[in-house]
Amino acid sequence: MAEVKLAEESVLTDDFLRQLIDVGEVDILVGVPTHNNAKTIGPIVETIQAGILKFFPRERAAIINADGGSRDGTPKLIASAAIHDTRPNSKPYALRTFHSISTQYASSLALGTALRTIMAAAELLRAKACAVISPESTQITADWLTTLLRPIYTEEFDLVLPTYSRHRFDGILLTNLLYPMTRALYGLKIREPYALDFAFSGRLGSQFLAQNAWHDETAQAGSETQLTLAAIAGEYRICQSFLGAKEHAERHSADLVPAMRQTVGALFSSLEPNFSLWNARTGSQPIPTTGAAREFIPEPLRVNRKRLREMFSTGVAELESVFQSILSPSTLAELQRIARTEDVPFRYSAELWVKTVYEFAAAYHQSVISRDHIIQALAPLFRGRAFTFLTENINGSDADVENNIESLCLEFERTKPYLLEIWKR
Amino acid sequence: MPSKQDVPWYKLAIIYQAHVRTFYDSNGDGVGDFQGLDQKLDYLQELGINTIWLMPFFPSPLRDDGYDISDYYSVHSSYGTLEDFRTFLKSAHARQIRVIIEMVANHTSDQHPWFQQSRSSRENPLRDWYVWSDSDTGYPEARINFVDSELSNWAWDPISKSYYWHRFFSHQPDLNYDNPAVREEMWNVMKFWLEIGVDGFRLDAVPYLVEREGTSCENLPETHAILKELRRRLDEQFPGKMLLAEANQWPVDLRPYFADGNEFHMAFHFPLMPRMFMGVKLEDRKPITEILQQTPEIPLSCQWCLFLRNHDELTLEMLTNVERDYMNDTYAKDKEMRLNLGIRRRLAPLLDNDRRRIELMHGMLMSLPGTPSIYYGDEIGMGDNIKLGDRNGVRTPMQWSGGWNGGFSAAEAEKLYAPLVQDPVYGYPAVNVVSQKRTEHSLLNWIARIIAVRKTTNVFGGGSIEFLYPANHRILAYVRQLENETILVVNNLSNAAQAVELDLRRYKGNILIEMFGKNIFPRVGDLPYLLTLGPYQFYWFRLRRI
Repeated sequence: MAEVKLAEESVLTDDFLRQLIDVGEVDILVGVPTHNNAKTIGPIVETIQAGILKFFPRERAAIINADGGSRDGTPKLIASAAIHDTRPNSKPYALRTFHSISTQYASSLALGTALRTIMAAAELLRAKACAVISPESTQITADWLTTLLRPIYTEEFDLVLPTYSRHRFDGILLTNLLYPMTRALYGLKIREPYALDFAFSGRLGSQFLAQNAWHDETAQAGSETQLTLAAIAGEYRICQSFLGAKEHAERHSADLVPAMRQTVGALFSSLEPNFSLWNARTGSQPIPTTGAAREFIPEPLRVNRKRLREMFSTGVAELESVFQSILSPSTLAELQRIARTEDVPFRYSAELWVKTVYEFAAAYHQSVISRDHIIQALAPLFRGRAFTFLTENINGSDADVENNIESLCLEFERTKPYLLEIWKR
Repeated sequence: MPSKQDVPWYKLAIIYQAHVRTFYDSNGDGVGDFQGLDQKLDYLQELGINTIWLMPFFPSPLRDDGYDISDYYSVHSSYGTLEDFRTFLKSAHARQIRVIIEMVANHTSDQHPWFQQSRSSRENPLRDWYVWSDSDTGYPEARINFVDSELSNWAWDPISKSYYWHRFFSHQPDLNYDNPAVREEMWNVMKFWLEIGVDGFRLDAVPYLVEREGTSCENLPETHAILKELRRRLDEQFPGKMLLAEANQWPVDLRPYFADGNEFHMAFHFPLMPRMFMGVKLEDRKPITEILQQTPEIPLSCQWCLFLRNHDELTLEMLTNVERDYMNDTYAKDKEMRLNLGIRRRLAPLLDNDRRRIELMHGMLMSLPGTPSIYYGDEIGMGDNIKLGDRNGVRTPMQWSGGWNGGFSAAEAEKLYAPLVQDPVYGYPAVNVVSQKRTEHSLLNWIARIIAVRKTTNVFGGGSIEFLYPANHRILAYVRQLENETILVVNNLSNAAQAVELDLRRYKGNILIEMFGKNIFPRVGDLPYLLTLGPYQFYWFRLRRI
């Protein structure tokens, strides 16, 4: 097992280390990264506790909260889930002591630091199975604990990623880029490669902790995605488990770039070190999936398509010089054409989108300009693609939408040789 | 705060539970006897125990190993004579060893003449000495204790053509304590043995003496009234003698058996025992501290009796379903090991013959508040034989040596009342008194040592307890105190080494003296007191301000 670095760069404060000594070895660990989540965290932690007590009543278990400097009492709410003998007659009943502890790192939203802290704790406590639950997963049920952890704890999987029932227009970045590109490159049909709720084995966590470039800002930001890619690269056993309905979280348009940094940035940056892994793979294979998708009736989703179109057109016009560094002339010309078109709606085709994304990935690899600028420049183009995706599917059934996503995936797979070609330039 | 002068003998007792039948056969008939027990008193004295609790030795058909008595005033012929008992008692007392005997008060054997008369006709004067009914529907709320062998608490008697009440085996009819004549007769039985010189009684199955419709027929006020009356007579006529209750109940239901110090002197703490096993398996003090938190205060003159194992199954009745399932799955994987709501195994096999765990469990037994009771053979780590029926697997002959019949009897092996344990790990060639006496660090010598250390102080028997709650839940730590004498106990329930910080600020300035090696540990200061403990290690520290 790889050693946790406890030198000057340790993420473990002395106080946290003392708490970990008190927790001792565990079988099950649930990590909760937080930052000012007091409004939602209480019921989530209660549900985690209930799930552990219901499905793992005999196992040694703990909740580890890695908090980015909350000022709203979040850590205290998490600590209240502990069950021990200094609170006699506390409810609910537990066979053994149940720890729920917190540590704070420098005030920051960096999920990478939180994940690193959770992984370090998991390694020191020799956790066999570790789940990470997002503080925004208000739809969590006690079943999640067994759904995520059981495949690792009893079936020797190393990474469990979630699948959700989503509104057909929820997660367009996921359905139009992350999922199809990850699938095409790495050959596995992982529906949620960027997951905020997931579980990993002790051995995967240890390996990732030792190998991941935690000091690299981009890698830190997308560490969850990196974990998935590390599991693929290391040929760890991966499965996905159905967690139920995923409620659509309202996002401001300003949220897109940070989200893309965290996900697309991580995906792009993974390509370089894993070139030997993805360059030889063709097609894609399903991965084991547990739990059956249930019917759900989603809330109506409001999307301002007009605004998407405007931002696309404006972006293409304003970023021309940037795009000239990133895109091939033919791709840029085609984008400029559709951005100028009077057609309502215009069509940003799957073929053009895939080509665009691959050219961005190659440009990222070649660092033709600042990598962060490359990611930022992709945002308006993604909005254009989102506009087309919404327009094309506006009257389609869920199955139609799914078929279109599948077609897009196949397009990513078909076009992969193009990426290889431009990669080596 | 208790004081040293207040500590009565039973609080300072180290009880050794023995069965005449199983201990030593002096006449070569294959069955242990009083002369044999007498011959082994030196062994018990060397071990350091100061009280013997004898299982029933009265005439009996032995369908429940003597708990089915057919004559309360005599000794079973296999075990010797009343005179043999008197001789044994005198020898024990000469060695400063007290003797408490069984008082199976709730029921008799169906072979007892009282029952034979009672069943003979509805007009017999003893008819009302037992609980009869024309139907088997009475007292439906009463639970069945022996769920593996009994379907009902009522049994049909073909002779008197009516049903009789029994809370245990159907061949053990319950006496009717609503009948004053029964109460008087049972006092006469106790008086008989007290006059011979016994030091106390373990009263078997006391919660069940009285039955009332619409109740569980357990712990009824009428039962308590009867027991108080027995105690009153005992104190009046035989001061200094002791009553010990067998009441397998929750702490809150056990508490009334002490009343205001005028019912029982002692009672077994049944709910604690399985939780000690659970705590060690879970590596978590929570089950132990929680049950002790739920245990009410008892009068100063009263005492809990603690035990790890006894002649019955390791009872799991006082556990929740979740806890019981856990115990069964971890301590009795083989279903043959289970009996009723318990586990019919001895201490050493239960603990995987792990010397460290056996020592830790004895460390807790000897240091938690109460009087410890050691079951015969556990001091050498005897095993069991689950192939023998009922609870007989934990009642095999004492293993004295590696020789003929384990030194228990000169009889032919086939004549023994039960076969000796013979497996390679626990069999008498491997586990016996002679070989352990020769080995300085044997379990036997270690048990003698811990008893000796316990006896250096009255704190464990008579002192108060205060739990420390270090954040490390694998550490069970408490302070025992009697007047100005203070002892700190720290137990590591875990299979791995542990670090623990104890808040001992109120003892600032004291130095710690480890009670076994008498070595000095650092003085207590303002900072948390850091200790490291090896797997299953425990410390007893005497706190001294020098």
